[in-house]
Amino acid sequence: MQRTPTAPSSPSSTSAGFGRLLVLVYGILAVAATVRGAYQLATDGASAPLAYGLSLGAGVVYVVATLALGRGTPGARRVAWVACAVELGGVLAVGVATIVDADAFPEATVWSSFGQGYGYVPLVLPVVGLVWLARTRRGAASSTTVGPATDPTDPTDPDPKDAPDR
Amino acid sequence: MPVVAPLTLLVVAAALVLSGWAAWFAVTDRAVVLRQLLGAAVVEALLVVQLVVAAVLIATGSPDIEVWELWGYLVTVLLILPFAAAWAFAERSRWSSVVLVVAALTVVFLEWRLVQIWSR
Repeated sequence: MQRTPTAPSSPSSTSAGFGRLLVLVYGILAVAATVRGAYQLATDGASAPLAYGLSLGAGVVYVVATLALGRGTPGARRVAWVACAVELGGVLAVGVATIVDADAFPEATVWSSFGQGYGYVPLVLPVVGLVWLARTRRGAASSTTVGPATDPTDPTDPDPKDAPDR
Repeated sequence: MPVVAPLTLLVVAAALVLSGWAAWFAVTDRAVVLRQLLGAAVVEALLVVQLVVAAVLIATGSPDIEVWELWGYLVTVLLILPFAAAWAFAERSRWSSVVLVVAALTVVFLEWRLVQIWSR
């Protein structure tokens, strides 16, 4: 699943310290949602394709978030931001939808009723993930936020040392 | 179920011991040590035995259960500890112990789900 992150000394690593726990919980939820969605689609796909497809889709997003947080490179951090935001939007939207229009979701999904079936972990986890991404960024970038006058870093090239062009 | 129960209890007991051991390390601000990985390997070995026993029972007795759902849990529960233990061991802070606690408790939870599936 993981090689040791290539830059363990990076102060902003999203997988160090508390991030180690965050990635584990993300990984467990990723496996749970993906296996469940795949199983339900395979055995009972016709009865509730929306619900089961949603579970599988959510599982894929959790897999992406797990890998992105585990890597913690600048590019992976951007992916993690998007994945966590999608998860939060998904759990809120589906949570409301399952209450307003329960008929659309005859079978439970990982996001139904704000993730109640998973101990509300799907509701809490993206929030924790976003906060963690913000905190690890602040720790690394606190000095650069003040000085926009010079911006030597090209955002498309976060790692200049492998830049000799070819 | 009567054959599985003692084995399941053994797995749950071993996983709880492992989680308690790791929780003690987390409280006392220590990282996971090699001996705990060996403990995790013992739990993992019991899980493999459980998989084999369950496979034999399914093949011979064909209990009236959702076999594929059962297999999903039997296989998934095998994945937790190897990945989590390696993931924990690479972190040299108390968080590695917290990781092992959560992983061991996840195994306990999956065992509970297995018993549910098997007995309904």
